[in-house]
Amino acid sequence: MNDCSDAYTPRDTRNLRIFNVWAISAAVMFVAATILISRGIVARGPLAWILAIANLLLTLLAVRAYMVFLRAADELLRRIQLEGLALGFGAGAVFMLSYRLFERLGALKLDSADPFVVMAIFWAIGQYIGLRRYAPGMER
Amino acid sequence: MINRLRELRTARGWSQGELAERLGVSRQTVNAIETEKYDPSLPLAFTIAGLFTLAIEDIFRPNGSGAAPVAARPPDRGFID
Repeated sequence: MNDCSDAYTPRDTRNLRIFNVWAISAAVMFVAATILISRGIVARGPLAWILAIANLLLTLLAVRAYMVFLRAADELLRRIQLEGLALGFGAGAVFMLSYRLFERLGALKLDSADPFVVMAIFWAIGQYIGLRRYAPGMER
Repeated sequence: MINRLRELRTARGWSQGELAERLGVSRQTVNAIETEKYDPSLPLAFTIAGLFTLAIEDIFRPNGSGAAPVAARPPDRGFID
């Protein structure tokens, strides 16, 4: 029986947990700020600016936490992450460059943040492929 | 690259997890090196050699005749394998 924890050292687990906390906080803040501002629950003014800046800061903290995680990561895990990032970035780039043409042809107009969803999904798929490729067997 | 890591580890009665802890890497990394799915970095190869008090070339050697190729390159790998 193998599990995901085999891929992480205790330091990786700790750094990944910190990244997850910031990433989830940033995601919640993004959704909340978007709803509050776009639906007019918070009037455009100082409070709306505070929400937008708070979202920016949380996102930057998540990026910083990921950089710390990646730089300190076990070397095979870093390789798996790099492959995941490459697939995510590639898929995001292909999507952004090609979908613009489809939009001009009448396809559904997308929000500028939507390509991030494509990148995130393919980043996750890339990590899954990498983890599966190097998955250890039964031996402990 | 082929290696004797499994042989050296089992001779000492260590599990993959124990060796991983001693090397400061994950068990997945130890397993991937033993099964030759992954070649370690030079610093990790030195750490492994130091742990077993052997020279790197006593643990790792290139596939084939034994002489190191002039320009080693990573193995060809499909897009998804």
